[in-house]
Amino acid sequence: MNDFLQTYGFLIATMLQAGLLGLSLYFPLQAGQLSLASPGFYALGGYVAAILLTNPSFAGLRDTLGQGIFPLTWLAGAVLGGLLGVVVGVPALRLRGIYLALATIAFVEILRVVALNLTVTGGAVGIFGIPQTFGFQDRWQYIFLFGPLLALTLLFTRQLERSRVGRALRALREDELAADAMGVPPTQYKVLAFVIGAALAGLVGAMSAPFLNTWNAKQGTFDSSITILAAVLIGGSRNIWGPVVGGALLAAVPEVLRFLADWRLVINGLVLVVASLYLPQGIVGALARLTRPRPPQRPLAPAYEKQP
Amino acid sequence: MEASQLVQNLLNGLAIGSVYAIFALGYTLVFSILGIINFAHGAVFTLGAYFTYTLVVGQFENNGLLKGVNLFPDGSPFSGQPLTFALATLLGAVGAGLVAVLIERLAFRPMRSRGADPLLALVSSLGVALVIVNLIQLLVGAEIYNFPSDAYGETPPALSFTLGGNVVILRTVQVIIFAVSLVMLTVLGFVIGRTKIGKALRAVAENPGTASLLGISVDRFIVITFFLSGFVGGLAGTLVGTAFGVAGPYFGVSYGLKGLAVIVLGGLGSIPGAVLGGLVIGLAEAFVPADYSAYKDAVAFALLFAILLVRPQGLLGRSAIQKV
Repeated sequence: MNDFLQTYGFLIATMLQAGLLGLSLYFPLQAGQLSLASPGFYALGGYVAAILLTNPSFAGLRDTLGQGIFPLTWLAGAVLGGLLGVVVGVPALRLRGIYLALATIAFVEILRVVALNLTVTGGAVGIFGIPQTFGFQDRWQYIFLFGPLLALTLLFTRQLERSRVGRALRALREDELAADAMGVPPTQYKVLAFVIGAALAGLVGAMSAPFLNTWNAKQGTFDSSITILAAVLIGGSRNIWGPVVGGALLAAVPEVLRFLADWRLVINGLVLVVASLYLPQGIVGALARLTRPRPPQRPLAPAYEKQP
Repeated sequence: MEASQLVQNLLNGLAIGSVYAIFALGYTLVFSILGIINFAHGAVFTLGAYFTYTLVVGQFENNGLLKGVNLFPDGSPFSGQPLTFALATLLGAVGAGLVAVLIERLAFRPMRSRGADPLLALVSSLGVALVIVNLIQLLVGAEIYNFPSDAYGETPPALSFTLGGNVVILRTVQVIIFAVSLVMLTVLGFVIGRTKIGKALRAVAENPGTASLLGISVDRFIVITFFLSGFVGGLAGTLVGTAFGVAGPYFGVSYGLKGLAVIVLGGLGSIPGAVLGGLVIGLAEAFVPADYSAYKDAVAFALLFAILLVRPQGLLGRSAIQKV
């Protein structure tokens, strides 16, 4: 067992982490909002944690709290992610479809350039030597962090989907105008879904900074936006298991393809092409159809309306 | 800001802005026809530069296809590098256009025939971009290439004058970029606005179903659109490579993103919008003070974010009535 964890533990932790990030994008999607902002909040959460854990100005705080500093960084990452989510979400969610997607890409890029140029974020070099959570000896021990968080998030998502709020979000996704007419205030619910996703991404970022040991501007880029989106779509954007399965799978693909050496990134691209061609409902959607045939679902919210 | 600095920034901004404009035109053409964004456009931009480089390096370092080719006899006013380089640029752009057609065939057409979610086409085109960029790395190498900076006889500058005691310089390559972009935009504007092909293209953009009922082969016009899109994308790649003297596998990534900012700023699907957006962003970047030059890359996105909030349809975009 120990050998297995030594070999594959890091990969499993990475897969769990990717599943969490997939879920962070799934929340706004529940309300029919295609947001690519997750990596921005993730990067923010990571920087918050990295700064709290390494910056000399917080040495006193670290001494006082001892190991308690780690939960504090999680809280800080989640809260700051959520707050930034409100700041960005309230204006941005007036946009729809591709316009929202592009605005959130712009947000991620602006954050990246700012992070690249501030002193407190370590500029282009980033922040190094982030101490391990609770003094973990091995990287696979992060399974104990990401695993329970994923379980909790899934539970929370499930309860949310079954609640009044979840039904309101679903109504917004299917037909915003009709939902509005039935007394579902679109803006409030959209912002709520967006902020939950942002807080989750911030929290995951705060947990990931020690996991990766170093944090820099590469953590929140356009590429990561795309990887997460691809994970959600390939896993299935209509079922809570979709983002988890897709995230875990896409995190594993490069590792599994390692024997292909230099060709693996090319194959990775081909996987995206083929999967989007042959699994339009995502893996989970395809499995669900195998087990119980249903009439085809309507596609996701109209992402590419020509009007805003 | 001094007058000389102002004029210099204006010239630099117009030159780079015009490249942004023709590059972004490639996005906008595809968007106006298919209603999707081709995320592989940045990779096509890179390819254009690589094709030209491969063709032309022979002229300078003895291993390219156009090695030692002189289109005109020695001694004539047209002999030598500049014209060969121009031919290579054109061929490079054609190559990029053909690749774009291939992308349409492999990544977009199968989606269309299945009536798939447009979001999936986005992921598919991203997959293609990944494939292209990594194939370049595998086949040609990850190192950054030095574009022949003397391709157009870099020195002396096309224009150089003193204004209030400071020298203002307009580089030859900037003039060429500006001229090529202008010609490209005029030709495309003419083709789309005044010719029969353009009319058919606009019909397909407006309503593919009706257009096909009227006997227009929708697939053929989508292929034409992708070719044009790849052509201008590849051309922009070579022009930028020539202006900055370098090209590498990840060359197109930041331009790919900036191009998105350009078309949204101008108005998605609008050709004059792409031009205006390109010039606005080029100028805005040129006027970033030297002290803040590190933030230059954020300018386009800050503008994009701002314009989306104030005028979501972009500067020249149509504000359509929302469907009920």
